[in-house]
Amino acid sequence: MFEKDIYQLIRGLRAHKGAERDYINQALAECRREVRTTDLDAKATALLKLVYLEMFGHDMSWASFNVLEVMSSAKFNHKRVGYLAAVQSFRPDTEVLMLAENLLKKDLGGADKATIALVLTTIPHVVSPAMANSLLADLLTRLGHSSPAIRKKTIVTLYRLALVYPETLRPAWPKIKEILLDEDEDPSVTAAIVNVVCELGWRRPQDFLPLAPRLFELLTAGGNNWMAIKIIKLFSTLTPLEPRLVKKLLPPLTSIIKTTPAMSLLYECVNGIIQGGIMEAVEGTMEGDEVARLCVNKLRAMLVVEGDPNLRFVALLAFAKITSSHADIVAQHSDVILECIDDPDISVRTRALDLVVGMINANNLQQIVERLLKQLRSAGKAPATADATQDRGIPHGIEPLADDDDEDMQKTIRAKETKSAQAPPLPDDYRTSVIERILEMCSRETYAHMNDFEWYIGVLVELVKQCPASTGSGTFGSHHAGVGKEIPSVADAVGDELLNVAVRVKAVRPEAAAAAQSLLLFDQREQMFPAAGSGGQGVLSAAAFIAGEYATLLPSVEAVLASLVHASSAHLPPQTLASYLQAVPKVFTTMTSDQRTTWTSARRTNTTLLIARVIHFLEPLTLHPSLEVQERAVEYLDLMRLASEAASSQPTSEQSDGYAEPPLLLTQAIPSLFTGMELNPVAAAALRKVPLPADLNLDEPINSNLQTLLQQAEDDASDFASGQADEVSRFYNEKPSAVAVTQHQRPAADSLLDPPSSALATRSSSYQHDAETDPLDRAAAKARQRAERRERYKDDPYYIDPDRDGSGTSTPTALHNILRSANGEELDVDAIPVMELKLDAPPEGERKAGGRAPVAKKKAKRRFEIAGDETLEGGGEDEGAKTTANGGGASVAAAVSRAKKSLLEVDSSGLSALSLSDDASGAASGRNTAASHLDVERRRAEEEEMTRAIKEVERLRLEMQRAQERIQPMGVPEEGTVVRRKKKKVKKGEGLEGDVDEGEGGEVAKRRKKKKKRREGEVGETQQTDEVVVGGEGGEAETPANTKRKKKKRQVTFEEEA
Amino acid sequence: MINAVLVFNNNGQPRLTKFYTQLDTAVQQRLLSEIFTLVAARPPSSCNFLPLPPLLAPSSRTASTEHNDAPSLVTYRHYATLYFILISTSTESPLALLDLVQVYVEALDRLFENVCELDLIFNFETLHAVLAEMIVGGVVVETGLEKVVEGVRARGRVAKRPVNESRAGLSQGIWAGR
Repeated sequence: MFEKDIYQLIRGLRAHKGAERDYINQALAECRREVRTTDLDAKATALLKLVYLEMFGHDMSWASFNVLEVMSSAKFNHKRVGYLAAVQSFRPDTEVLMLAENLLKKDLGGADKATIALVLTTIPHVVSPAMANSLLADLLTRLGHSSPAIRKKTIVTLYRLALVYPETLRPAWPKIKEILLDEDEDPSVTAAIVNVVCELGWRRPQDFLPLAPRLFELLTAGGNNWMAIKIIKLFSTLTPLEPRLVKKLLPPLTSIIKTTPAMSLLYECVNGIIQGGIMEAVEGTMEGDEVARLCVNKLRAMLVVEGDPNLRFVALLAFAKITSSHADIVAQHSDVILECIDDPDISVRTRALDLVVGMINANNLQQIVERLLKQLRSAGKAPATADATQDRGIPHGIEPLADDDDEDMQKTIRAKETKSAQAPPLPDDYRTSVIERILEMCSRETYAHMNDFEWYIGVLVELVKQCPASTGSGTFGSHHAGVGKEIPSVADAVGDELLNVAVRVKAVRPEAAAAAQSLLLFDQREQMFPAAGSGGQGVLSAAAFIAGEYATLLPSVEAVLASLVHASSAHLPPQTLASYLQAVPKVFTTMTSDQRTTWTSARRTNTTLLIARVIHFLEPLTLHPSLEVQERAVEYLDLMRLASEAASSQPTSEQSDGYAEPPLLLTQAIPSLFTGMELNPVAAAALRKVPLPADLNLDEPINSNLQTLLQQAEDDASDFASGQADEVSRFYNEKPSAVAVTQHQRPAADSLLDPPSSALATRSSSYQHDAETDPLDRAAAKARQRAERRERYKDDPYYIDPDRDGSGTSTPTALHNILRSANGEELDVDAIPVMELKLDAPPEGERKAGGRAPVAKKKAKRRFEIAGDETLEGGGEDEGAKTTANGGGASVAAAVSRAKKSLLEVDSSGLSALSLSDDASGAASGRNTAASHLDVERRRAEEEEMTRAIKEVERLRLEMQRAQERIQPMGVPEEGTVVRRKKKKVKKGEGLEGDVDEGEGGEVAKRRKKKKKRREGEVGETQQTDEVVVGGEGGEAETPANTKRKKKKRQVTFEEEA
Repeated sequence: MINAVLVFNNNGQPRLTKFYTQLDTAVQQRLLSEIFTLVAARPPSSCNFLPLPPLLAPSSRTASTEHNDAPSLVTYRHYATLYFILISTSTESPLALLDLVQVYVEALDRLFENVCELDLIFNFETLHAVLAEMIVGGVVVETGLEKVVEGVRARGRVAKRPVNESRAGLSQGIWAGR
């Protein structure tokens, strides 16, 4: 049987169209066999085939030992294949790597130039710190090789050695420097050194300052554009350290800009001037102005040049770098930059968009946004199906296909670059970023540039239609919502913005409410959300909130309510649905709470009908998987049932002749649940300024007897289950026509039927207190209520009575009481915390304070008043808090990036600790780091010891390996694995520790943000004690108090540490 | 520095993969297909710079430092049926990289005389050899066309593609059973 050579493999592949996979499997099996033969030719051929297949994703790590065998062949052709295979297939965990070390040393010391070159190009791919240490000496001798090709490759290889083993530079750098300074050296070697120096330069620029004269010489000598570019890049990192360089550099750079025919060099000159801070350094002088003008004009020319999008792209990159320092110069060219946001190339557009965000002002904002909108509208979305076919990001390997278009393949590739014809629709991520940019531009500095909010609301509604179909949020994973944070979709951002405008800009609230209505209306849904997925639906939750909060401003309340309780709403994502549920009673209230019109039978029918619809909507939701939805549904369902009861039993005007009072539950009680203080925007930093109450002791248990109580409750539960099963069944089977009413507790609705005056005397209903009683009465009533409540909850273990001592005993009927109170709780609307808050402070004062506070910070823009964030006094502290927050964020981010190193990244951070300036010329710069030097020294000593130990172990291992090889060539020694693992573990452990620390910091920072936002009254101003944050709807239960306090406690300890 | 050099054709079939860091084969394939997806969607008038593929996208947006070890630039050039991709960090000049690809292709053209995709399929070893003359360990060592060609030739004869390969599968004649 004949072995295939590489040509036959490839040809065979091309011939087996449609059955490539089988063919490859067969070929792999053959290779496996061939690679084990003793014939080196066959081995090499097999390896080459394996390398070819590896390119298509067929693992060949199993052949690493054979790779080594072929590498060690005496024939260059074999070596070539072996080394190529090593480069392509060796991974950090390849075991035979250590065996390769001696081979590399031997080949490196050989006489054949081609072999040396092979080794030099291979080392960067396989080198490890230990190997670097042992190869170093051999490489250093190659620096003096007679062939420039070897010298330049050696220099680059040494650089890669230094990346894994920084000590390399200690002996290597002086020699490299010598070569660089040698004017008779081959220019290509010099160029290679410049490349290496440029790579090293940004890590330790101070070490390379002494080289400046030589580099300057090379720059002005010209001849090699690639090298000139690198030198300019290097200089741009040096100039900030040595201001005198600027003067020296300016003339050659300007002359290059003016004369060079190479666009890349010209661009890098301009870029170097910008990045090196040369423009700032010479600002104000004649020269400086000239240079600035020259650079910017060149950039402008690059933007307007026809037919070269590359120049546009890089010019925009350069512009982006000067916006922070020379905003005015960039602004002068806003005309051409703005043109680029309509560029056919999306890369260019994205760059332009970055710039444009910084250039907007009140005059051009609308125009820019309109242009972007037009772009979104006209581009059409990528159909979902097209995405699916194009999405090849799945990690299964690419199968080599038999190519059928041979004519194509024979096309000479020197031909002009060609590309496919049709323009694809806008990709979703670009769409998303455009929408984000629009929002960013418009909301900048609390709407500083916004003139027309009505227009803005229109834009927002339009943006909802343009939202790409989202994949992240809007799923039904309600369980995940609590655990992992959902990624907010861009539609959520649009919703937030709409909400923000509605809250901050009173003047356009009607428009905002109308917009919310248009988004919510069911019959318009098709039109509003044309995206196939749930693209724009993230906005619904904000829209529902607006509709609820500003229900009185809605153009058509009935339509909104109908849409809210439409059957299809129940299928919305839980977050949105929860918001819907909150909005439903609010909208309902606006429709039914009218107090002045008489209670006619028509009105009654109408109301009961409405209630029935709401109940119909809520009922199934009480079983919703999302707890938030379930809770709200249960709460409002019972409230609605109460309302239904009240409405049906209230006598109408027909019955009572003349004016009939509508049910108080509808006109007073339910509305009072949702009216209260105006919602105002609160600054994010305000929370941090709330002082901790002095008497807050978080270590003290709230109820020292909690454990016993819970135990007892459990016991009771078992008692209850056995003895009172009938009661349970009665409880659950009670008809939903009305709430379960027990004998001694009349429903509040009943009391409402009585004339108010008599109700007051007998019952504890306090709905009329605010309106009808004087303060004295009120205080008395409050005391009475408290007493009554205490009486009622005497046996309730979950009711925390401030007056009750810790040794409260509970009766066997505790659970019964729990059930009963759960039933009866809503009868006493007064017990709902929201109401309680209102009892304690005069509401009029609060309102005023709430209205007054933002006035001072309101920014007047034409006729729109934009409410600023409310915060507490003390600006300085704010700054501090901000910076600490930012610092924390940055460190977290740093930790993250350190932990998640980019895929292809070659980490050069090891270099930053190593000073190259040991020699006299550069000693000055190293002096001030004496302290850190010690540290470095110590670490180095440790490292050396470690490497020495590893070397020793490896040598031993090698010997053992050799001994073993004689018996069993394929055996992979187990002992070696242990040693290597140990070494790794040490490193990993260190890394982990650091990460964990950082991670904790991040968590705390997050937790801090999560903390509920509150604000406290200030001296002088009577401010409300609790400002509910927009979106964080009221009606919080008291139960989470425990967890909240825990969080606070954690935070306190953190601050002490910090 | 340059982190990776990739060559693939219009169907995403790889013709050369060279990563200057050791990377798992599966990850290599994934990166390849991600970049192909990006590059295949580009209309002809676009510029030669790609956004970072998802695998390389920075995990956070705070990486605003001027220089970084992380790859930040994906440059590509399209010749006839082949895409040439360079992944690099910010120390490389974008326009200069485009010239570098040009030098690479011109060197191949010199060696093969009117190089076409078929040459590269059958002589992928040469493709690696040329690259090794230009880039070592991610650092550019030579940009001069003459020197690159000279360096490759010094390693041995460059094979031309098998004769009559255009009718692949039919004319196995003289090669069969070798």
